Amino acid sequence: MAVPDVHRTIDAVWKLESAKIIAALTGIVRDVGLAEELAQDALVAALEQWPESGVPDNPGAWLTAIAKRRAVDRIRRDGRLERRHEQLAHELRQSGEAEPADDRDDVLRLMFVSCHPVLPTEARVALTLRLIGGLTAAEIARAFLVPEAVVAKRIAVAKRTLAEQRVPFELPAGDQLADRLSSVLEVVYLVFNEGYSATGGDDLMRPGLCLEALRLGRLLAAAVPYEAEVHGLVALMEIQASRSAARTGPSGEPVQLHEQNRGRWDQLLIRRGFTAMLRARECGGPAGPYVLQAAIAVCHAQAPTAEATDWGQIATLYTALERLLPTPVVRLNRAVAVGKAYGPQAGLDLADELTADPALRDYHLLPSVRGDLLERLGRTEEARLEFRRAAALTRNAAERAFLDRRAGALPAAAASPAGPPPAVLGTTARAFLDRDDLDAATVRSYGQTLRRLRLALGDDLPLGSLTADRVAGVFAAAWGTAAPRTWNRHRAAVRSFGAWAALDDLAAGLDRRPEPAGRTAAITPEQLERLWARPDVAGRERVLWRLLHESAASVRAVLALDVQDLDLGDRSARTGGTRVVWRSGTAQLLPELLAGRTRGPLFLTDRRPGPGRAAAPADLCPETGRARLSYERAERLFKLATRPLDPAGEGWTLRMLKPRR
Amino acid sequence: MRFLMTTKPTDAAPDEKLFAEMGAFIEELTAAGVLLATGGLEPGGVRLVSSGDEITVTDGPYTEAKEAVAGFALVEVRSKEEAIELARRFRRIVGDGESIVQQVFGP
Repeated sequence: MAVPDVHRTIDAVWKLESAKIIAALTGIVRDVGLAEELAQDALVAALEQWPESGVPDNPGAWLTAIAKRRAVDRIRRDGRLERRHEQLAHELRQSGEAEPADDRDDVLRLMFVSCHPVLPTEARVALTLRLIGGLTAAEIARAFLVPEAVVAKRIAVAKRTLAEQRVPFELPAGDQLADRLSSVLEVVYLVFNEGYSATGGDDLMRPGLCLEALRLGRLLAAAVPYEAEVHGLVALMEIQASRSAARTGPSGEPVQLHEQNRGRWDQLLIRRGFTAMLRARECGGPAGPYVLQAAIAVCHAQAPTAEATDWGQIATLYTALERLLPTPVVRLNRAVAVGKAYGPQAGLDLADELTADPALRDYHLLPSVRGDLLERLGRTEEARLEFRRAAALTRNAAERAFLDRRAGALPAAAASPAGPPPAVLGTTARAFLDRDDLDAATVRSYGQTLRRLRLALGDDLPLGSLTADRVAGVFAAAWGTAAPRTWNRHRAAVRSFGAWAALDDLAAGLDRRPEPAGRTAAITPEQLERLWARPDVAGRERVLWRLLHESAASVRAVLALDVQDLDLGDRSARTGGTRVVWRSGTAQLLPELLAGRTRGPLFLTDRRPGPGRAAAPADLCPETGRARLSYERAERLFKLATRPLDPAGEGWTLRMLKPRR
Repeated sequence: MRFLMTTKPTDAAPDEKLFAEMGAFIEELTAAGVLLATGGLEPGGVRLVSSGDEITVTDGPYTEAKEAVAGFALVEVRSKEEAIELARRFRRIVGDGESIVQQVFGP
């Protein structure tokens, strides 16, 4: 045999045998990390010897024997705790001679250890694939699209945690078994799903991971045959895997269940799934989440055609599943089933309830499902928007292409009367950010807010449909629980965008949230002197800042001032119910700002209004056609101007101009 | 990857020990989730030959019985080497004879 062949044989033997070897060694040395190290030593010995001597008759036994011998050597060399080691060495010799114990139980114990709740989920996954699946760190890294070093570290940390926490190598006792088992099942299903619906990358499936999960599941079913949920999970995976060949098209695009060629479903796996389902039922007890999901999969597998699917039954099963597992994804699937069983409107009603759920805000299947239901309701414009949104959200290239095609396949809207196409969110947001007068930090900050709006509402949303209600919905889902400062920052961005695009009251549904006290400290007199002395400040800003400082009035009230409100002789003005009074500093500067104007807003923008609807007449200067200066703009200019003065380098807010009392 | 291992018949009659070892082997592979299906085949069987428009159906046994298949195992593994390794173990249990391992494509 050529050497490379021997190496591949060794690799195959290792993958088939490593779980048993490591499990047997852990039973002896009681430390998973050490056991794996010893098993690796044996593997190294095989790599050295087998190319010369040939592969032994029973390679698994050979590896185990070598590993056990290494264990004894290691214990002797360490030479501490003499008697304990004597005893261990004795046990080792005994166990070496005795009949092989039921290694299936040992492997099961090993699974309970590698899926132990003291470990974070990704560590459980990596360690399980490593110890039970016999995969290398590189193989795991490739499957999960993460750097190998990350996986290696996860595994190393996990082993250390297990040792430090003294996680025992045992089968959990009765009342703990269900909990611990569900942790194991979760890991197995996670591996399966990572393979089945690859979350990233260009391939829709990474079949290796599905196979690995199926093997783990089958192994588990043989080891704990009395647990219905184990069989339920196996049934679920077998039936889902049976559709592997049918669920991607010739160029790798996803094919939805109802469009799949059922002739390409793997009948062998379906049959195995049905058998596992029968075993689950034989175990008795109320149906758990995996059994219910498997029952749904069985419904699909039993339907000879998509049209023959028993959607009523599936909707009922989803209702039962939602009671046990009220996750957003289950609720979304229920919406799909109800939509099929009782019409698109019934499904859409359920799906719409989910749009406010923060957990689903980046989940591409929600807009995808809504798009589907809307299309069936004939609401093609909304459907197109949803498909585009879904395409923007998915990380999978094949799926993105598929969703874009669905959006493109919808019939175009009835030709609108001549005129420019209506402005939409995506291009308007880009135009808003793509201006010369925004600094990089602001673009980044506003960009975050607008990115969220665009993902949630879609780039193709006409500006006319961008209402305060919808913005409020996005805010509640995205930042409902965020810190007030974060909320207010996004709110300010929306207000600025709304003002620029002349969308009135876009933030009407968003209350400013009180930020923790102490943030609006006043500016010191020395700093103020330096501010007034700056030569590069425009006349309008000079007046505004002076006025704010001298009057101690609210920013909002000052910006709301109209020219006709002013009594220059009395150095006072009245706006709404507020009286604003100033002193000589402002009084000297005012005439230049007024420049003979007699009506309209006191503080005007220096630019014409943006596209879209015009500002309200009360906010327009009848003489120059310019609009009233917005709070956001004024605030931003002040922040920029004061950045060099602020020791923190951030710049100040207008409210800080109010003198300290 | 799926592989089908087919085994040709031998003259040797199986003994108790072979049955026990085979039983344990099959159980182990099933539990490990590797063995999807396995079975033994009747000697002979029915032969169908099509030629032109005509299909001839003949009952066995035939003289070429040695070339027929006596048993099969369908396994799901990660590599050809794993399939070969399993077949090696099988051959070690059954003694002298011949098996063929072929990758299965589809469905």
